[in-house]
Amino acid sequence: MASILGFGAHLPDRVVTAAELAAQLGVEPDWILEMCGIAERRYAGPDETVVDLAERAARRVLEATHMQAADLGGIMVGTGTAPRAFPGVSASLQQRLGVGGMAFDIPLASVGGFFALCTAADLAPRLGPILVVGAEKMSEVVQAYPAKETTILFGDGAGACIVSPGEGPLEIVDWIAESDGAFADDLQREPGGPLVMHGRQVIMQANRKLKRSIQMLLDRHQRSTSDVDLFLLHQANLNLLNQVAKGLGIDEERVFVNLQTRGNTSSASLFIAAAEAQAAGRLRSGDHVVLAAFGSGFSFGAMLARVR
Amino acid sequence: MSTIDTVRNLVAELAQAPVPADADASLFEAGAIDSFGVMDLVERLEEAFGIQIPDKDMVPRKFETLTKIVTYVDQRQGA
Repeated sequence: MASILGFGAHLPDRVVTAAELAAQLGVEPDWILEMCGIAERRYAGPDETVVDLAERAARRVLEATHMQAADLGGIMVGTGTAPRAFPGVSASLQQRLGVGGMAFDIPLASVGGFFALCTAADLAPRLGPILVVGAEKMSEVVQAYPAKETTILFGDGAGACIVSPGEGPLEIVDWIAESDGAFADDLQREPGGPLVMHGRQVIMQANRKLKRSIQMLLDRHQRSTSDVDLFLLHQANLNLLNQVAKGLGIDEERVFVNLQTRGNTSSASLFIAAAEAQAAGRLRSGDHVVLAAFGSGFSFGAMLARVR
Repeated sequence: MSTIDTVRNLVAELAQAPVPADADASLFEAGAIDSFGVMDLVERLEEAFGIQIPDKDMVPRKFETLTKIVTYVDQRQGA
């Protein structure tokens, strides 16, 4: 199929603690920790755009993989917080990196980066190396319309990877992805409007669909969860991650978690987690890794990869 | 044991607060079941009643009260 050459990430400087949000929202810091396990998250500055975040993550992964922007055959960006309806963040990235090729966005909150990754896995043999980015400025949304159920969750950031045809450090074995439009209204945002998130509905569906995606993918390859060395999941909510892990019989050590200090960065979270896992030496030769995400649509899926 | 007694027992095993005596009271508002507990409840209902609960029915309102859960279980058993 194709391979992931490496990951990169960028987080803005400003740390926003649970205590700071608790004071703003009129709740206790401990309530925030109990609800989602997020002690702090990062906020971009007022002049720092989603494109700025995406560009920094993109340049990091290019540097980490010793690639030139001119080597890219395409750019795909997952984001739910693009600053304009069209063209997408991907076009702005082309402009800043001075490259051509195929470029488009996948506007699916939380899962857009993952869908872009799956798409790139199939398109890389045709286009050549593809820069895949997940970038979000969620603070703009949750601070424009503060609500305790959503504001406590989200942070800003960007993550990126490069998907290349043929062999590479992280071989993509297979992926599955699906959308269930019956729940299209349960996690949505109209242009300029508040984030609409029906929390119980999201959790019920995310739990079931994430577990089923992972199980189906592993079944397809005659593998079980015990054959997987590391699970990289969309960092949505610590309680949800724990419940999915418990439901699949996965011990906590094999689930990478960074949302206590990163928050839920929506479409960026999977790649930020992957970049940090890679930097921490968690991607070891011969390891099997599952990446999985769930988000608006509801859209969801899982990818199986093997570290060379 | 009647369906409602079985359901009440299943909810009580998972409950984080007393299960309301009123079968029409919201389990969510009473704090008996939260967003994560309802997932465990769904799995136990499937096991206890030998039913499959499809994704389209995985909506909180179907599991909000003991009465609604019993109604739903009866429907699935008759399906």
